[in-house]
Amino acid sequence: MCGKPERRTCFSSHTEAVPARNGRRALARLVICVLLGQTATAQAAAGPEPTTGDLKQLSLDDLMNVQVTSVAKEPQKLLQAAASIQVITAEDIRRSGATSIPEALRLADNLEVAQINAHDWAISARGFNANLANKLLVLIDGRVVYTPLYGGVLWNVQDYLLQDIDRIEVISGPGGTLWGANAVNGVINIVTKSASATQGLYASGGGGNELREQEGLRYGTQIGDTAVRFYGKYTDYGDEALANGTNAQDGWHMARGGFRMDTQATSQDLLTLQGDLYNGTENDGAVGEAGQSGGNVLGRWTHTAASGASMSLQVYYDHTYLQDPVAASPPVPPFYTGFPAASLTDNLDTDDVDFQYHFGWGARQSITWGLGYRATHEADFDVSLIQFTPPVLNQALYSGFLQDEIRLARGVYFTIGSKLEHNDYTGYEAEPSGRLQWNLDATQLLWAAVSRAVRTPSRYDHDLVVPSGLVDAPPPFQFPSAYLLGSPDFRAETLIAYEAGYRAALTQQLTGSVSIFYNDYSNLRSTTATAATPTYPYPYPVYFRNNLEGDTYGAELSASYQLLDWWRLHLGYDLLRQNLHVAPGATDATDATNETADPQQQVKLRSSMDLPRNITLDAALRWVDELHINNGPTGGPVVGVVPSYYELDSRLAWRLTRKLELSVVGQNLLHEQHVEYGFPSPTREQIVRSVFAKLTWGY
Amino acid sequence: MGLLKNRCGALPRLALLLVLGGIAGAAAAVSEYQLKAVFLFNFAHFVEWPQAALPPDSAPFVIGVLGKDPFGSELDAVVHGESVSGHPLAIERFADVARLRNCQILFIPADELAHLDEILGALKGRSVLTVTEGPAPRGVMIDLVKEDNRIRLRIDLDAARAGNLTISSKLLRPAQIVGAGG
Repeated sequence: MCGKPERRTCFSSHTEAVPARNGRRALARLVICVLLGQTATAQAAAGPEPTTGDLKQLSLDDLMNVQVTSVAKEPQKLLQAAASIQVITAEDIRRSGATSIPEALRLADNLEVAQINAHDWAISARGFNANLANKLLVLIDGRVVYTPLYGGVLWNVQDYLLQDIDRIEVISGPGGTLWGANAVNGVINIVTKSASATQGLYASGGGGNELREQEGLRYGTQIGDTAVRFYGKYTDYGDEALANGTNAQDGWHMARGGFRMDTQATSQDLLTLQGDLYNGTENDGAVGEAGQSGGNVLGRWTHTAASGASMSLQVYYDHTYLQDPVAASPPVPPFYTGFPAASLTDNLDTDDVDFQYHFGWGARQSITWGLGYRATHEADFDVSLIQFTPPVLNQALYSGFLQDEIRLARGVYFTIGSKLEHNDYTGYEAEPSGRLQWNLDATQLLWAAVSRAVRTPSRYDHDLVVPSGLVDAPPPFQFPSAYLLGSPDFRAETLIAYEAGYRAALTQQLTGSVSIFYNDYSNLRSTTATAATPTYPYPYPVYFRNNLEGDTYGAELSASYQLLDWWRLHLGYDLLRQNLHVAPGATDATDATNETADPQQQVKLRSSMDLPRNITLDAALRWVDELHINNGPTGGPVVGVVPSYYELDSRLAWRLTRKLELSVVGQNLLHEQHVEYGFPSPTREQIVRSVFAKLTWGY
Repeated sequence: MGLLKNRCGALPRLALLLVLGGIAGAAAAVSEYQLKAVFLFNFAHFVEWPQAALPPDSAPFVIGVLGKDPFGSELDAVVHGESVSGHPLAIERFADVARLRNCQILFIPADELAHLDEILGALKGRSVLTVTEGPAPRGVMIDLVKEDNRIRLRIDLDAARAGNLTISSKLLRPAQIVGAGG
């Protein structure tokens, strides 16, 4: 039947006399062909939208061959999500032309995404996108990928064969009750496809001026009850540029590979085993080369009991290694000893066990509870400018959570719960939340929530030492021994967040959501200068403290409109206002400017067109407001500006056969180069226009 | 990882307007719940209920949805103006098991499977075709399983027999059968 790539049969109704009583069936076959992505030339198809009426005419066999869009794309499904959540689907990623996960994250309206240089990104939600942004929790298939080194995410090493990502869920707002510490301003959940959904061969290759080359390969097969896939990906990115147009010498390359196995052991038991390895090298301007490598292995058992209750047990091990060159600092006799060229190395091993149980309690309540344990072993060695004491640190994190969803009335649900966790730096932390969901009708949802979330200290806050290298001050003077120090008594930063939102599928064509929030922060990181005296006229060492507080508020808007069968538009808008200040009676060396670097507004507009002859054209225009960024924790307040900018990404793709696709992608097309992030200096990098072509086979 | 270094290094010191003629070929996709709604509609025609379980005279034949309704308006659109054996088709939504009223088909969304014991308890001895979205535990008659972006049927013959329902071979043939049926 039409499911096979025999294109001619799809249009048999146009080339053969069809008995009248088969007319409706013929229409149905045509619809099926369209659904299955067969060639639908303009005259032949004339755009028969697969309406419910058409589907009702299909036989059961035909119905079982109709492809559906991803669950995540379902507006109906999202209509049950009482949070500011956006879902980036596999199709969104493919059609964007993204080559990496950070690039794909530009598709989320509720994220700030700024590219710093060829390999580094600053990504946050609802503000605090300062250097070393630390208020976002990121998970890949349930594996936490923020580093305890500074509480942020090393975006250059978080990647995957994008074709095999099922969806990326982006939640702005706190998620501490379920996910724990660091889920302060948002949670990003990257979910890969099951091995059974990635069968067969997929191969892609491409390159251009900035993306020098990228290759991807995957093979999936079924062995008995077990589906398995193996994949590999190699990417080589070229250099960005400096303001004066010279080469920034920051190109890099990364190779990664991995596997995933899914076994339906019984109808009630699903077993997953997966793992990845990666290795890469980055050019770091004149300083030298940085290296990253790592790997992980994860197992998960999901069991659905006969009673309908479900449980999952997940265990993983992750190893992360990075080596970052630090330039030599030549001695200046007689007072400055200087530092030799060296490397900061970070070796992190993480073992994690996570258990969750979900069951219905009576007719009105659904209860979820879980327990977690994470052990980290982190070794940071450097002989020079950046040190961590102790250099080797073992830590343990214990956590438990309980959440109850209670149906109050028809369409009205109240969810209450809390996480309680224990970390070695600050002891016990609680992250409770209450959430109200009201489904006005089948197409509209109102929600509101109050949550507490915490950011627990990182090694950067607690263990950092930046030595001064100054010696032999002439008496009675004394030199500082260090410029910057972490604090053993650094506390957890806390947030109380108030949120509300409305989400609706207003018509079949128009869906949208709006969220508003008011965030009240306390104990935010500050820097405190040492008091100067006549014989010690220096502010150094500067210490980290928790002297900042304040509030932020804003709104996030997102709307999708299916203008025509073949043309879809999407609009996103973000507003953010921040009022941070130094706590009464306390001090901050940077005058409360160091923790933020955020645009007040951003606008995103996307267009997706399905053109004749299996051609698709996508374009994404973004406008990002100017942002103010401080020059490091002790250098300020010296605030520089990144100007507002417009940029445009676009992708034109032509599906030559059912499996073969050729595409041309342009990124940042409007300017030869533009800046997205960083304190103004001659070494601040600019992002160069990128154009590449790509050929893919399979899916 | 230049970030850390950059930070510390600073220490002591629609535009694309395309004019495209012609009519574009449609490549719109079907939403999952639109398709599931059509399956539910089909079940009304391919399952036989005992006479006692059918509504009287021209009273509506009811497809019930339990708990949070994932269909939006799709199910209403599918049954609009349709009838089965002289009974107009109607949709009813039940907030929870306690509010379950008479229906011929009951759809149990995935979220509700946590309450399955109570649901099946409440339906015991009644001829209600239970439908859910998998992977479902035993006891639900038809499971709409999403595999490879398609919807497959898994039918539990034992459960259907216990409910005194007869499932047409047209429905059984393309389905995966669990349970002996006998």
